[in-house]
Amino acid sequence: MRERSSGRVSAQVALPKRRRWLRWGAHWLIVLVVLLFFAMPVVWLLSVSFKPPQEWQAFPPTVIPRGPTLNNYLLLVNPELPKGSASYMLRVTEPVTKSFINSLIIVPIATLISAMVGFLAAYGVSRYRVGGDFMPFFVLTTRMFPPVAFAVPLLVYYQNLRLIDTRLGMIIIYAGFTVAFSLWMMKGFIDAVPRSVEEAAILDGASRWRVLFTITLPLVKGGLAATALFVFILNWTEFLYALIFTSTRSITVPVQLSHYVGAVGRFYGPQAALGVIASIPAVIFGYLIQRHLVTGFSFGLIRK
Amino acid sequence: MGNAEGKDRGILLELCGLQKEFDGFVAVEGLDLTIVEGEFICFLGPSGCGKTTTLRMIAGLETPTSGEIYLRGRKINDLIPQQRGVGLVFQNYALFWHMTVYDNLAFGLRIRGVSREEMDKYVKDVAERFELESLLNIKARRLDLSAMQRVAVARTLLTDPYLLLFDEPLNNIRPGLREILRAELKRLQKELNRTMIYVTHDQEEAMTLGDRILVMNAGKVEQLDTPRQIYLHPRTLFVADFIGRPSMNFMETEYEMKGEKISFKWNGFSFNIEKKDLDVEEKHLKGKKLIVGIRPEHILLADEAEKGGISAEPLSAMVDLIQPLGAKKIIDLKSGDHMVKMVSSSEYSFKRGDRISVIFDPRRIHLFDPKDGRVIL
Repeated sequence: MRERSSGRVSAQVALPKRRRWLRWGAHWLIVLVVLLFFAMPVVWLLSVSFKPPQEWQAFPPTVIPRGPTLNNYLLLVNPELPKGSASYMLRVTEPVTKSFINSLIIVPIATLISAMVGFLAAYGVSRYRVGGDFMPFFVLTTRMFPPVAFAVPLLVYYQNLRLIDTRLGMIIIYAGFTVAFSLWMMKGFIDAVPRSVEEAAILDGASRWRVLFTITLPLVKGGLAATALFVFILNWTEFLYALIFTSTRSITVPVQLSHYVGAVGRFYGPQAALGVIASIPAVIFGYLIQRHLVTGFSFGLIRK
Repeated sequence: MGNAEGKDRGILLELCGLQKEFDGFVAVEGLDLTIVEGEFICFLGPSGCGKTTTLRMIAGLETPTSGEIYLRGRKINDLIPQQRGVGLVFQNYALFWHMTVYDNLAFGLRIRGVSREEMDKYVKDVAERFELESLLNIKARRLDLSAMQRVAVARTLLTDPYLLLFDEPLNNIRPGLREILRAELKRLQKELNRTMIYVTHDQEEAMTLGDRILVMNAGKVEQLDTPRQIYLHPRTLFVADFIGRPSMNFMETEYEMKGEKISFKWNGFSFNIEKKDLDVEEKHLKGKKLIVGIRPEHILLADEAEKGGISAEPLSAMVDLIQPLGAKKIIDLKSGDHMVKMVSSSEYSFKRGDRISVIFDPRRIHLFDPKDGRVIL
């Protein structure tokens, strides 16, 4: 009697078998629904990427392609390849490799710059109140305009600076426009680090820079990882500026993706194939910093 | 100013007219303080009284608006924190969470460029003394509070400071553990024989730890004295009220000289005290009103007082509330409209509504000037 009334384990035992089963079932049903909701587009993307042209818009749709083909992927690398098929009346003559290399250069560099500048700026704002209340807010206003509003003046500048259709130009735009996010995200993480930890290091004899890099940075590295991932995805998927400021030499993956929509119709197959490939770097990056993300999000646990 | 003579007398720290203002708000006002080597001083006061600000100015984390700080006879106002030879243990211990205990301890030594072997020796030594050997490879964030405190103190000691500062280190700790850690600290101070300044708002902590206590209020020093003196002879109303639980009873009285007696009238009844007991000169008594203070533990039952040879005119009062505390009990007495608290031994049994006869121990009565709150007696 006594044992039954005490402890959580015995409380569960006391539950009727059928109700336990129901609870278990409901739990996994919800998981399944949520999973389907988020996985569906990915599954569809994968499915279409392996379908031949006649199946792209077939009704009823199929999840597993009836005639699976690698043509969509091969076409990305070599647009000349599937000429035999009448359905591929594609005007795209460029292989995707160029846009991929561009994106893989532009986005990581812009992300690195944005995160580092954001971190240092946030440190100044958080610890020294640099710029008072105005500056940090002002930085954020760059995100309050519609992006197109910046396009015209920037175009004029870029024309004169000969930055149009250059990787450097894109790096500057991407780093510049995401630095506001980096600053505000990092400010939150830095604010959570008690000042006394830094002061303790100073009393131990550390210089300001040493405190920044050996104490503060390691303590917010989870936050930095989260910020970097956020900015990376933002830049990796950015379309508008890439479309306006690049034409041939430095186009990025999202622009390339739009090339598969032509006057004669949409080329869902190659588009889906490119979509699959394009998501790989983001997934890899996310996977690499996953370990740090967990500490980043649970940072509030540190005693203030 | 005080440097040359300071060295001879073993004075470690001297604060001269130390002042700190934040945007017009005076946090610390004209603080003078001299601390001798080996002393344990407690800064005591309610939050916002300027005690932590003072501590931070000594450590160099805050710049004084005016005034000088001398450490071992040297003016340290313009020195950066690490040049001062002052160690500070923070309220939250401020450990480097992402590092192991070993790295926490070695941090300062690494910066100083101490050789690997030496550093290892120092760290192991101090770890042994603080019983941290088994924890050296554990991340600081995984420690329990007692170990955190030990790491924080040990880390500070490794920088070999002349003066060790503590900023409310026991503040966020649950009561049971607090007493244990407090005892640990006191033992440590005795063993290390270092000069320490300990900031707290807990009077019990200050009383048990300090050789001397500096009571602060609203940026000013109220009293600097030994715990015993502060308890027995508070210099101001604030100190009298702040020290001791339950707090001192205060009565605003009118007084009158009647030959060898002083008669205090308070709220419809009066009590007389012989002048010789009070040991106060008439010239000190100005005006018509006085605030009389008496601690609850110095209100005695008339019978008991007589046995102890204390004679004074008894007062009659009604028992209004009894709060037993085990060894003693707090009794609220009602006299007219006013309440007075007394502490009595548990062996006496009263009921609510009983009338009892008590006396105010005349040797333990405090008189304060109602105008400035300063003590007259």
